[in-house]
Order: sequence, then structure tokens, then C-alpha cells
Amino acid sequence: MITLWHYLAVAAALFGIGLVGFLTRRNLIVMFLCAEMMLQAVGINLVAFARYHGNLHGQVFVMFIVAVAACEAGVALALFLMLYRRGKSLDSADWAAIREVGVPPASDADPLPTEPVTAEPQLAPAGVRPVQPANEEAARV
Amino acid sequence: MSDPISRALVVLVLPLAAAVLAALFSRGVLRKAANWPLVAACAAAAGLAVGLVARVAEAPKHQFVSDAVTWFAAGQFSANFTVNVDPLSAMMLAMVTFIATWIALFSSGYMHGDRGYGRFFAVMSLFVFSMCGLVLANNFLLLVAFWEGVGLCSYLLVGYYFEKPSAAAAARKAFLVTRLGDVGLILGIFMLWRLTGFATTDLVSTDPARPGVFALITKSVAADPARMTELTIALLCLFCGAVGKSAQFPLYVWLPDAMEGPTPVSALIHAATMVTAGVYLLARCAPLFAICSDAQVVVAWIGGITALLAAFIALAQTDLKRVLAYSTVSQLGFMFLALGTAGAISPAFAVTAAMFHLFTHAFFKALLFLSAGSVMHAMGGVIDVRQFGGLRKLMPVTHVTFLCGAAALAGVPLLSGFWSKDLVLESLAAAGESDRPYTGAYFVLLLVAFATAFLTAFYTFRAYFLTFWGAERVPEEAGHHAHESPLIMTVPLMVLAVGAVFVGAAVEPFNHLFSHFLEKSPTLAQASAAAGAKDVPHAFNWTIAGLSTLFALAGVGLAFALYRRGGPEKVPAALEPAFALSRNKLYVEDAYEAAVVKPATALAFLAKAFDGLIDGLARLVSAVPRFVGQWARPIQNGLVQFYALSMVLGLAVFLTFVVFRVTR
Repeated sequence: MITLWHYLAVAAALFGIGLVGFLTRRNLIVMFLCAEMMLQAVGINLVAFARYHGNLHGQVFVMFIVAVAACEAGVALALFLMLYRRGKSLDSADWAAIREVGVPPASDADPLPTEPVTAEPQLAPAGVRPVQPANEEAARV
Repeated sequence: MSDPISRALVVLVLPLAAAVLAALFSRGVLRKAANWPLVAACAAAAGLAVGLVARVAEAPKHQFVSDAVTWFAAGQFSANFTVNVDPLSAMMLAMVTFIATWIALFSSGYMHGDRGYGRFFAVMSLFVFSMCGLVLANNFLLLVAFWEGVGLCSYLLVGYYFEKPSAAAAARKAFLVTRLGDVGLILGIFMLWRLTGFATTDLVSTDPARPGVFALITKSVAADPARMTELTIALLCLFCGAVGKSAQFPLYVWLPDAMEGPTPVSALIHAATMVTAGVYLLARCAPLFAICSDAQVVVAWIGGITALLAAFIALAQTDLKRVLAYSTVSQLGFMFLALGTAGAISPAFAVTAAMFHLFTHAFFKALLFLSAGSVMHAMGGVIDVRQFGGLRKLMPVTHVTFLCGAAALAGVPLLSGFWSKDLVLESLAAAGESDRPYTGAYFVLLLVAFATAFLTAFYTFRAYFLTFWGAERVPEEAGHHAHESPLIMTVPLMVLAVGAVFVGAAVEPFNHLFSHFLEKSPTLAQASAAAGAKDVPHAFNWTIAGLSTLFALAGVGLAFALYRRGGPEKVPAALEPAFALSRNKLYVEDAYEAAVVKPATALAFLAKAFDGLIDGLARLVSAVPRFVGQWARPIQNGLVQFYALSMVLGLAVFLTFVVFRVTR
């Protein structure tokens, strides 16, 4: 028999994993995933209590949380994409320039390894005929 | 547009549209074309206004008042937006727009290549709009609004070269000194309203059931002679405003300094139009002034003192534009002299004399200023007669036009200035022989006017000879500019020169077109009826004319004897004390400096010290949060993990606290 306690244990474990991940990782996407995990742990709690009380209040909340989390993911990933384009990095410590004026930067004891940047594929702007490379034969369909 | 009111409103709106257009042009690709809205608007307005004069002349009633549109209302009191078209305002409207057209054309060339080309024309258009509004206003509130509008434009244009400290100071001085007079104007208006019992704000009305301010006050004073004192005080307050705006003694000091502005501005605002607003105000309020002889004698005395004083100061000035500025002050004094006789003689005659002098003065003084501007343009911005001379050959057109203007100003017979000055002198002479009080004063003022006429002829031709006669001298600043100005500048000069020479003779002495037209103004008829003074016949007075010719020619002759060899100026030893006095402007400015400016500066210094004290206290208070901030600031180090960790720790502490509190 799976009791309320089991649900709460799973949720607490999920929340703990998310918290630790959020505090220890510096990759923006992973941090975001960890934050989502904490959020969903709360969701499990709500569902569990809804079942325990025998009503649907908690479930309604969870519906909202899922919807909001989806929006959040869209916005957050778009922001990360822009940040990546600017700095070619997803390291959250790279954006420490938003600190208070006059505060010295925190020294980074353990910099992330850098990887060679490969050029992103570029599409021609809308309405412009793409340039065909001279040595490449046009595809025949 | 057949209706005179809508025609007048179109004249009013055209320059406003030009102001908007010029402002829009000032930063775009049309930057170089910012002059055309003003030129076109003024030309169209001038055409309409001249047509308006003809229409008003042939209309059966000679007065048109627009339907009242409530501007704002508070309780019983409501201020209306109404315009009034009568011969007086139609004449002013035509004069202002006509002169403005040629000055706009001249400034197109004069200001060419200037950085603020668009700004200049936008403000000039706004000025023409305000001036037209001032002329048309049929309501003291509206009049004050436009009165301040022209004052604002004057401030903006005097300070046009605002990078120059002297120009900025001159603009400030012009604004503050006229403001001093405006306080009087506002007080006077309130007192006049009180006399009407706050029944209406419209000056005149065509509806007999709702009489205007003039009719109400005339009736109220006639009913209760004790109110005359109140009316006198109110009119003197009103006159204060005119003194400030029209640069009369003791508030004339701003006008010579206002020459820091570009020369077309001096021609339009500080010679032809804005400074005559005070004269126009008194002419418009003639029904009130005519019944108040105590106020009138003050007006005449102020005019006489100013005329003589300014003419004397103009004697030894070396800045060509300043000579002209002082002469403007002096000629405005002449207009007030004529206005001051209204009541002692028929107001219709006195006001016509003043307005006729205003009319011809606008032509020849605008011409003189524009010619001086042409000289200044050629001399690379130098306007000091000690630094150039003998420009006769170099600038033949400017030479001839300046001569026309100077001769008209000096009152050389048969030119415009001669005829109008003659009317002023005639009105003074008639007032000296009238059956009213203060005849002695008017007789003394007649002598003052003759002395002024002599001085005027002398200083005008002194400036002329020093500039154009003798050996040719050109300052270094002139560079390659030292040649005659382009056509766009000389054509307005020629047109205005024709005006300065012929316009006086064309409209008044032989056919009395001008005076018959103005005398049709219902307000002047009302003033004449109220004053009941004897009419002055429109007959040519040979004694007056002969004496004035004698004085004018004596002045010109003396100038010729002293200066025909041109500069540098050599003052005869006998005249040296007088010249020294004149050069120092009769120490009037020094007296003001000691009596007003120095105490004000000291007060400002004290206020600044006190302000420093308050500032110190405020800084002390603000230092406390800054200190706390200094201590807490390192927490904001920009690392997301650090923020998250502090959040978690804070939450942990909070939860621990809650849990242990609850379980205990």
C-alpha cells in the first residue's frame, strides 16, 4: 500500500536533488532543469495531498504549475539562447557583471573548460535567393 | 473670406502655420528651406491685410467684432476669445505683415548658413503670429497673452547667439526689465475691470445691449467723478506696461542691449513692431486716456524726457546698431508725446499723429537697421564705426538706402519722417494753445521735441558720414565678405527705401488718406466724444514745418561740417564734455547698476550662502543610508549561486525557527 508518506518521500528526494543541483552546477540549462525539478516536487506534494483529502484542489494547482512552467521554459530557454549568442558560453558566472558598482568580481577558482566554437549554420534572409556554392552540384529531385 | 473677421483670422493663423512648418524643417533635409514658410506666410498675410484695410474703409460700420468664444470661465467671470477689426487694428496688421515680409526675405540672405537657421525662422514666425494676435485682441486677457508672446519671442531672438555671454545677458535683461512694466500692466487691467464691476472683458462690442469695457468705464466715471482718481491710477499702471515694452524712460535700458540679437530681429522686433506695442496699447485705450488729463500729461512728459535723453545718448555712441536703438527709443518717445496730447486736443488727431509716426517710423527704421545689417554682413560682423569707414564705393546700394532712411529719420523735408514728425509737432503746438489744463507743459514739450529733432538729425548723419564717407577702411574680420550684399538682401532694402521716401507723402499730407481712415475707428470717435476737446484742422502749419526743417537741416549741416571727412572721429574741444556725458549714457546705467543690480547681486549671494547651508544639511542626512549601503553592498556580487545559497540558508533559519517555536 502506497501511503501519503511515500509520495512525500519521493517529492522530498526530488526537491533535494534539484536544490543541490541548482547550487552546485554552473551551466544555465542544467540550473534551469534543477529549478524545474524543485517545482515538480512541489507539484507531487500537491497531488498527494489532494488524494489524501479526497478533493481536487491540489490537482487544479498542479495544472496551473505545469502550464506556468511550460511558459517559463519557453522564456528561459530563449533568454539562454540570447546569452549564449553574446558570450558563447552558458556559464552563469560569466554574467557577474550585474553585480553592484564598486564590488570587486568574485575570483573564479575553477574555470570551466573552453571548447572550440563552431560557426552556426546561417540561413539567407527571407526573400533573398540563397547563394549556391560553386563546387556543389545542385540537388536534383 | 469675404468677411473681414475670417480674413483677419486667416492673417493670424498663417504665421502660426509657418512657425510649425519652420520648426519641422529645422532638422531635416529641408533645413536650408526653413525661411520659405515665413516669407510665404507673411507675403500672403500682407496681401490679405492690405485687402482688409480696403474692406474696412468701405464698410458702413468700420468695426467688426468676432462672435465671443469662451476661452475660460470661472464663476460669473468669463474671458472670451474675440478679435476686433477696426481701422486701427487693420492698419497695424497691414504694416506688421508688410514689413515682416521684407525683413523675412532679407534675413533669408542675412542668416544664410547659420547653424540655427530653422530655429530663427520658427521663432520669427511665432513672433509675427503673436504680434498679429496682439493687434487683433479685443480683450485685455488675450492682449496680455500675446503681449507676453511677443516678449518671449523677443527674449528668444535677442538671445539667439546664446553661446555669447553678452547675448544671454542682454536677453535676460530685456525679459526682466519688460517684466517690471508688465506687473503694472496686469495691475492696471485688474483695476480697470474693477471699474466696470467685472461685467465684461471685451474692450469694445457691436452689441448695444452688452457694452464693452471702454463704454462701461466712460459711463461709470461720468456718473461718479470721484472715480477719476481710480481711473488715473489704473491708466498710469497700464502705461507702466507700455513704458516697459516700448522702452521709455526709466525702463529703456533693455533696448540698446537687445541689439545683441541678429540684425533682422532688431529691425522687425526692436524697431518696427514689438516696441510699438505700447504705443498701440495707448492708442487702443484712447477713450480712457482722453478723459484723464492727469495721466495724459505724465504720458507726454515721459515721452518728452525719453525722446531728449535717448537722442542725447545716441550722439556719441560708436556702435552703429546702438545709435539706431537709441534713436528708436527717442522716436517712440515722440509717439508718446503725440499720444499724451489726446484730450488736450482732439484724440482723433493726436492718436492719428502718433500712429502715423509709428507707421513711417516702421519703414525708415526697419530700413536703417537692415542697411546696418548689410554693412555688418559685409564687415564680417563688425558694427563699430571706429573700425570701418568710407564704404560709399564698396556698397553703393546699401549706401543709398541708408541715406534714404537717415534722411527720413532726420526729418529732411518731403520725406516720410518729415510729414509724420510734423503731425506730432502740430499736435503738441495745438495742445500748448488749448483751453485744457497743462498747456504750459505741452509748450515746454514742444521745445523739447524741437531740440530732439535737431539732435536726431545730427546723430543720424554723424553715423552716416562715419560709415560711408571719407577714406575707405575695412576691418580685418571682413575678409572676402567686403562687397555689396546679394540681391536677396538688397531688394528688401530698395523696397523699404522707396517706402521710407514716399509712403509718408503718399498717404497723408495731400490727401489725408491715413488720418481719414484712422478717424473712422469707432473707439477714436468715442474718445473724441468723451474728451470734447476742440478739433485740430488738417491744415499745413508753415511755422511748425519751417522750424522743424530748420532744426533738421541745422543738425545735418553740423554733422556735415564735423564728419564729412569720415572717421576716425575728432570731437571739437568745445563739445567734448557733452560727448563724454553721452558716451557714458548719462550715467543712467551706472546708477541702475549701483541702485538695483548691486543690491540684487548681494542678496543673491546671501541667498546662495543660505542655500549652501541647507544643502549641507540635506547631504548629511543622505550620508547615513550611503554609509549603510557601503557596508551591505558586497553581498550583491553577481553570482547566481551565491544568491540562491543565501536564499536557502535564510529559508533554513526561518523554518528552524518556525518548527521549534511550534513544537515547543
